Amino acid sequence: MRRFLQRHVSQVALSPSLALIAIFLYGFIAYTAAVSTTNSKAFPRFDNFVGLEQYWRLFHTPRWHVAFTNMFLFGGLFLLITILLGLLIAILIDQRIRAESFFRSIVMYPMAMSFVVTGIIWQWLLNPTLGIEVMVHQLGFTSFRLDWLTNPDTVIWALVVAAFWQGCGLVMALFLAGLRGIDEDIWKAAAVDGIPAWRVYVFIVIPMLAPVFLTVVVLLSLSIVRAFDLVVALTNGGPGVSSDLPSVFMFDMAFRRTNLGLSAASAVVMLGTVLAILIPYLYVETRERA
Amino acid sequence: MIDIRISNCNKNYGSLRVLKDINLEIERGEFIVLLGPSGCGKSTLLHIVAGLDRLTSGAIEIGGRDVTDVEPKDRDIAMVFQSYALYPTMSVRSNMEFGLRMRGKPMAEIRPLVEEKARMLHIDHLLDRRPSQLSGGQRQRVAIGRALVRDPRVFLFDEPLSNLDAKLRASMRTEIKKLHQSLGTTAIYVTHDQLEAMTLASRMVVMKAGEIQQVGKPEEVYHRPVNLFVADFLGNPGMNFMRGHIRLDGGHISADIGAAILPLDGYAFEAAPADGQAVVVGLRPESIQPISGLTSGGGAFTLTLRPTLIEHTGSDNLVVLAMGDEEIVGKFPTDMLPKLGEPVTVGFDLGRLSLFDAESERRI
Repeated sequence: MRRFLQRHVSQVALSPSLALIAIFLYGFIAYTAAVSTTNSKAFPRFDNFVGLEQYWRLFHTPRWHVAFTNMFLFGGLFLLITILLGLLIAILIDQRIRAESFFRSIVMYPMAMSFVVTGIIWQWLLNPTLGIEVMVHQLGFTSFRLDWLTNPDTVIWALVVAAFWQGCGLVMALFLAGLRGIDEDIWKAAAVDGIPAWRVYVFIVIPMLAPVFLTVVVLLSLSIVRAFDLVVALTNGGPGVSSDLPSVFMFDMAFRRTNLGLSAASAVVMLGTVLAILIPYLYVETRERA
Repeated sequence: MIDIRISNCNKNYGSLRVLKDINLEIERGEFIVLLGPSGCGKSTLLHIVAGLDRLTSGAIEIGGRDVTDVEPKDRDIAMVFQSYALYPTMSVRSNMEFGLRMRGKPMAEIRPLVEEKARMLHIDHLLDRRPSQLSGGQRQRVAIGRALVRDPRVFLFDEPLSNLDAKLRASMRTEIKKLHQSLGTTAIYVTHDQLEAMTLASRMVVMKAGEIQQVGKPEEVYHRPVNLFVADFLGNPGMNFMRGHIRLDGGHISADIGAAILPLDGYAFEAAPADGQAVVVGLRPESIQPISGLTSGGGAFTLTLRPTLIEHTGSDNLVVLAMGDEEIVGKFPTDMLPKLGEPVTVGFDLGRLSLFDAESERRI
């Protein structure tokens, strides 16, 4: 027994957490997949197998199409804007500016807030009767309109702006750390070679930050799929269902509309989407390392 | 013809004076080595010549043109860094081409030039690799190649060999020397390695705490150091120092170092000595040898001393000899090794002796 323990101490130490992960992560993924093949309503029931009917229903629910499209629209815009502006802010802060930590704190500060708070702040800011619109009107520009929250076509921008406001700090911090890690001699060599600063960034420094880009994309993608509280606090899916995200749809089906089967099916589709993005990424990543 | 002129150059970081009134003139084709302990300002001086650092006051001229406020790229210089500073996301070829492309040189001219220099440095088979796929020595060759293709007026080297292992360092040193001999371009080379300085320099500049201590040919600086710092900094093992005082005795001058009285009649004084003046006598280990090993006829002076320790370095043997309360080190050939504890007669090559004032620490 003693010798067994000595030889397998690492396995023994890891086994409780492995068991927990096996049950609560993979176990419940399997359980959800099982529920999605039943006709469960408020509670999971396994006596009523319906095969893939829930998936058929899901893809014939217009609200799901809105939510699913929104995820890519919101995700794409959020990713693009956050990475571009986060990198730009990091580059500006990296210019050895005065009061650097002051600016760093300003950009980082929203990160300290929960998405619910962010959602409420932006709900107020974007409210046509008390937010930015009123402020601009008071400045004299009475034709100014900012109706993102009430216009189904532009409500997605409200989500993007609020999520960017919250996520920008993290992205900036990661890029700044990456920029600071670049050997100063590279900059000196470029100065002697006569390469203009923007070209050094485009051709040398930004390619060197490739690993940071990967980290940022993964972190932001996860927050896109998880995005739930922001929508609930900012728009609550509205107007109508125009700012629904799959997570909101899933929650609604499971706990408000007592349609657990359909909710489980949407959860499985979401997982599939994440895997479709993640598996190629992991494949490339592990192949590059090897 | 003066290629680089550094006049009254000062550099302050806040209240810290990194360079104090540096003046230096460098002839066309010279290989100047800046040598000194870390923090002496040698790298700062190089960066100022490169234009990567602004000077607080003073002026820099390159090729007769005042470049004090000129950008690095317009100074007609190329630089090699200790960390190589290759662009890691580009191939070796692109690394070498990039600077020329930025200057708008047509590709048809760049290609053959890069290939020629690559062949010269034996890296032509590596042109399509990334820097991360190269060894340290190969990377440094690429960095030198990147500087070569620019065909600059001045080469600047910032401790280029410090990241290499000892053997590679020695062979790269030889190659840099050959390269300079064949190209004849003016070069400034910063190092803290005195062996590199001695072998490469046509003139070396010894620096300490932001000030130039001595400028001269390597053998001149080695054999006639201007002060105690330079004497102590150069040479491995270091120079032997013996405290004593001057005795003026009729027409004869000698130095009383307690255990012996060294005649100084053959010594070329730079300042007239005074009787009783406190001095430090400096003698390098290779000037302390068994009596039959002495070659220089500059007034052989012998003493009988007791060896207390023998260190074998391979080619030579360092013998520690007790002299009064102090110990001195001599360099003995292997076939003339004394026995420990048995007194041995050693010759002092007084023609190689250096004499310093004990107070000012300057050569007299």
